[in-house]
Amino acid sequence: MTPLLKDRRLIVSALVFLLFLGIPAVVHDTFALRMCTEAFMWIGLAVTLDVMAGYTGYLNFGHQAFFGIGAYATAILMMKAHWPFPLALAAGGALAAVAALIIGIPTLRLRGSYFAIAVWALARAIQQFALIAAWTGGPDGMRLTAFLDPQFFFYVMLGIVGATFFALWFLLERAPFGLKLKAIREDQESAKALGLNPTHLKIQAFILSAIPTALIGGVFAYWVTFIDPGSTLGDLISDQAIVMLVFGGMGTLIGPVIGAVLIFSFKTLFWAYLSQYEVLYIIILGAVIAASVVFMPDGVLGKFMRKGLRRAARPESAPPAAAAGKEA
Amino acid sequence: MAEPILRVDSVSKIFGGLTAVNDVSFEMQAGEILGLIGPNGAGKTTLFNVVSGYYAPSHGKVFFKGKDVSGKPPYALAALGVGRTFQVVKPFGGLSVLENIIIASFLKHPRRAHAEEAAWGVLEFTGLADRAHIPAASLTLAGRKRLEIGKALALEPSFLLLDEVVAGLNPTETDRTIELILKLKSLGMTILIVEHIMRVIMSISDRLLVLNFGQMIAQGSPAEVAGDPSVIQAYLGEEHE
Repeated sequence: MTPLLKDRRLIVSALVFLLFLGIPAVVHDTFALRMCTEAFMWIGLAVTLDVMAGYTGYLNFGHQAFFGIGAYATAILMMKAHWPFPLALAAGGALAAVAALIIGIPTLRLRGSYFAIAVWALARAIQQFALIAAWTGGPDGMRLTAFLDPQFFFYVMLGIVGATFFALWFLLERAPFGLKLKAIREDQESAKALGLNPTHLKIQAFILSAIPTALIGGVFAYWVTFIDPGSTLGDLISDQAIVMLVFGGMGTLIGPVIGAVLIFSFKTLFWAYLSQYEVLYIIILGAVIAASVVFMPDGVLGKFMRKGLRRAARPESAPPAAAAGKEA
Repeated sequence: MAEPILRVDSVSKIFGGLTAVNDVSFEMQAGEILGLIGPNGAGKTTLFNVVSGYYAPSHGKVFFKGKDVSGKPPYALAALGVGRTFQVVKPFGGLSVLENIIIASFLKHPRRAHAEEAAWGVLEFTGLADRAHIPAASLTLAGRKRLEIGKALALEPSFLLLDEVVAGLNPTETDRTIELILKLKSLGMTILIVEHIMRVIMSISDRLLVLNFGQMIAQGSPAEVAGDPSVIQAYLGEEHE
């Protein structure tokens, strides 16, 4: 394995993170900061989706359920139980972990498209529940006490997304966990013969994907101060994150970051200049996902950058003859 | 006699109305190679899947090192020391050869660096070291079969199930694989092997077990089995007057 300090992709990622941290020192425009915060949010959603879709091979069309659970848990605990924000946020993450366990046990036995349909349906059910329940405010949604500090939300969102990214990097790219998940993605039956318990690993991955998603949802709720079932539990959230992920490149952590930045920039520009053609946005989004599946199944990263990265990562380990002797 | 490493006790496996394996019993001593032969559809792979935990037996029991393991999942058996290969090779195609082996090495070496070290040992042993960094999907058939063996070996098992690891190889590759299997035997590995190629199975097995229509029809040394009339009949059919 590449030594930690020679892992070029990790170093680049860390530098980009530091660069992002410095943005508020230069940019004081509230609108620009808000756009950055939202971009971080989408990076987080695309990256967490990748844990299941790219590494484990389970495309989760119900990812918004965890986002919504985090948002509603934070909103309800802050407004009705008067919990402080960090505590409410953490509770949302814990609740999402429990939800992932409950949803995952039956659905992760299913393969590919059946899983996708099952989680999508469950997420819809959760959205419907939020629409009819009294304590969620139903279709009217919920209003949170406004806390209008764009810098605060910029840093909180960046902090959570950054921590998620580097934690996932460690777990999926450096610890054995990531390779084990890939083994399940490649061939579950064969993985079993090698001592891996696919059900356990998939549920762990699902929980790992759910917790940060709920934290991001909780920050979103406090940040926008108003949530409703459409904005936090609607399938457009997953759909957009999936487009970003597929466009950027699944199965890598950098792919979804690139995809999220590119698609989100496009979305922002589109809304800024072409907002009267609202329908067109959805059409373009659909066309982009269809085209990227057909023409670049490995995403932007796979198409234009991976070759170079692979070459850079190549001379990592020659057969350690001495080490092998020591082992015996 | 010492405690058998594997004891299969009147195992049957029934799929719907089809009895794929019918009341088969046998034992294996540590360090021996048992060849499992029989015509197509005789139930060899089904028996393999029962022993390696992929199917629970419909009747009967499987004991591994004296422990009842009937119906235990494959990953539990792997942890007990059972390694297996698949007749239809199952490499993790998108991963490198090295990564394929590392995944198996995690069983005995939970830390990544240790697993990688152990994996290099397996790669050297199986002759795949020069192809360590290519994607497993781009290996030749011979390479993939070797990788199958490598993955099973990386589990550092005491008992190995080899399902047609020679079929489809050219004579040179066949000889190299036989050499590899005999090397494993000399290291004390117990091996249950399914193979269609008689030249191979006759030369490496200590004992043979013959299945036909799910039933065991003969058991014994290669020479005994080759002369057994019921075996000849199963393979060549009945003689007409």
